[in-house]
Amino acid sequence: MDPVSTATATPSGLLLAGSVAALAASLWLLLPKASDTVASRRLGYLLGAVALVGFAATGRSLGCVGEDAVFLTVAGIAVISGLATIVTRSPVYSAIWFAMTLAGVSGVLLVLGAQFLGVATIVVYAGAILVMFLFVLMLAQPSGMAPYDRVSNEPMLAAAAGAVLLGLLTLSIGRLSAAEPPSCCRMPSRAQAVAAAAPADGAAAKDDGSTTLIAPATAGGDTGDANEVAHLGAELFGRHLFAVEVAGVLLLVALVGAIAVVSRGEATETDHRRDSR
Amino acid sequence: MIPATMLTNALLVGAVLFCLGLVGILTRRNLIVMFLSAELMLQGVSVTLVAWSRYHGDWGGQILVVFVLTVAACEAAVALVFVLQAFARTGRLDASAWQALREENLPRVIDQELPADDRVVPTWPHLSPAGVLPEGDDSRSLERDHV
Repeated sequence: MDPVSTATATPSGLLLAGSVAALAASLWLLLPKASDTVASRRLGYLLGAVALVGFAATGRSLGCVGEDAVFLTVAGIAVISGLATIVTRSPVYSAIWFAMTLAGVSGVLLVLGAQFLGVATIVVYAGAILVMFLFVLMLAQPSGMAPYDRVSNEPMLAAAAGAVLLGLLTLSIGRLSAAEPPSCCRMPSRAQAVAAAAPADGAAAKDDGSTTLIAPATAGGDTGDANEVAHLGAELFGRHLFAVEVAGVLLLVALVGAIAVVSRGEATETDHRRDSR
Repeated sequence: MIPATMLTNALLVGAVLFCLGLVGILTRRNLIVMFLSAELMLQGVSVTLVAWSRYHGDWGGQILVVFVLTVAACEAAVALVFVLQAFARTGRLDASAWQALREENLPRVIDQELPADDRVVPTWPHLSPAGVLPEGDDSRSLERDHV
């Protein structure tokens, strides 16, 4: 590794360890337990905020958090609502927070340039799947929150495991961006090749190299242009046509299977004969 | 295509969502909330796939996410049927209601006594009555005092 990354390894390593510890403590305090008090929950929220800032700062020191305000906003909505989804005691509120997470994720997908998937997440997940969950919740728990919603299994171990896994993933993502120095101001090599091959209209101020931060949205021609949905559809129904057919069969099988499991069915002639015997 | 900074941003968000979903599915006891946590993990994976897809300018990741959506819909339908069947047998949406199926060497989950609920009962909005009040059974209130 280059000397720069080894020099910055210690403070960012400390920061990462601190964030992991704060996240584990926050999750442990926030997860439903019998010994919960209002004060411990407040401390949990505080530690969660500290952990969030710590992880963002760690990512920044590893060179992998940018300053796109829109992205940071939608990502913050997704992450905070995701945390609320798993720590809220009432399952109905949990489902509502999950809808909020879906809104955030959809925003992230839109910022990334995946327009169809951003819309499909809202329509399919929030519009269909989540409503199905709410139906089942309202059918099965009409009296609201149950005692088993106020306790959880092994909150300390699970919080520690989740936080350590997140720390490891952050480290490996940081290594990923450190593998291409300087990571902040570089584009993928394929995009650079495309930009170099393109006419010099976008390359007027290339001398300092900072303009390469802005990806040539139309130069690639494969993703991220105005006809994104059309191209996705052509790819889906062209190269992946067989997979689409298989997915259709899977949907049919799930439908038939769900109905077959849930319906007891009328007793047939044979059943009567067997019962009376 | 997106720059490398955006890629790592999105990968971090995907990792956070995945880990939160993991913690949720490990700890929560309500079957529906466990299921929501699994969907949270799927969302994290979707963000990661889309980020790589846009970084490489390749459609494969986004196509895979389309199929993830399809399979998630199938999975939700079938799993909710099983959840409802489990509820019909035990009367609870509690995963620990099925702990007779656990491994032999694992301890039993014993529910301890919970302290009184410290939440504030919300005040629902009051709507002014309109029309004729239907004749109903007053002993069975349709209102819930909490969710």
